[in-house]
Amino acid sequence: MSGLSELDQITRAASGDRAAQAALVNRNMPIVFRVAFRMLQDRAEAEDVTQETFLRAWKALPNWQPKAKFSTWACTVALNLCRDRLRKKKPVLMDELPERVDTALRPEEYLSSQQTLKGIEANIAALPERQREALSLCALEGMTNIEAAAAMDVSVRALESLLARARRTLKARMSGVLAGEKQ
Amino acid sequence: MTREKITIERALELIEAYGAEPGGWPEDERAAASALIEAEPNVFAEVLSEAHALDAVLMNEMLPEPSVDLAASILARAPVAAPERKNILGRLSSVLFPKGVRWPAGAALASLLMGLVGGYAYAASDVGYDQADAVYYAAFGVDSDESWLSLE
Repeated sequence: MSGLSELDQITRAASGDRAAQAALVNRNMPIVFRVAFRMLQDRAEAEDVTQETFLRAWKALPNWQPKAKFSTWACTVALNLCRDRLRKKKPVLMDELPERVDTALRPEEYLSSQQTLKGIEANIAALPERQREALSLCALEGMTNIEAAAAMDVSVRALESLLARARRTLKARMSGVLAGEKQ
Repeated sequence: MTREKITIERALELIEAYGAEPGGWPEDERAAASALIEAEPNVFAEVLSEAHALDAVLMNEMLPEPSVDLAASILARAPVAAPERKNILGRLSSVLFPKGVRWPAGAALASLLMGLVGGYAYAASDVGYDQADAVYYAAFGVDSDESWLSLE
């Protein structure tokens, strides 16, 4: 299946080829899930968004136009779904929310994950929404500036500005950790 | 189009936005920015060092894995292949054998059909009784009706 172009794979997946569908899911599901998780900070919600993204993909595949890579298209859909969910949540102040426990983790894993969250993940999660999107797609998922800008529906220049601001904020907030990394 | 030259300010912007790794910079500016940084190492040393440190921290991001059932539940709702269009033999087969061809039943039906066709062909042919009898006697290892009678 690896020798097929993405368009061939999409055409086969649309016609019901299980191997092509599985390859498409295996290649793109982790990216979509990670992007959704960074936005929503909740595993179950990130999984819901991932599933919904692929359901939309199954509907879109028969009329697929190869304007963008599948991953770019999927991230665009996932980001829109995340924004909808975040918009619905906004009236509730973060301070009012009870501390969430991920029941999928064992206690020691949860403790360890909380310690890690105090570092990188918490700082990424605290970034403004659009900066988080830009950093997630470009710096963490390795999309090109053109792909990321397309997924976010912004200009490349605007993307750069968001990225620079995100990195500046992280540098300021994590100066202690970064000083250790520089040594 | 690849840029041949780039300003110091632009190279600094690239590092601030995309980090210290040239692989993350826009493709059309990568070569020019790398060349400028190589030519002016002192100008970029501090900003590159800071960007490297942040890149390293970002690489250590830890995220949970999606549950093992997620891929299966996504695939369960994927489009199913349309049934193939059958040719005339396929359609006849599905009329005769709506639950699919079963070979013992198929073989019995085939032998029945062969018997019917053979019998009809033989009855229709202009073979006289003598010739038919000769075939019959030959089948039983006797030469004629006389020798058949002599067995009695």
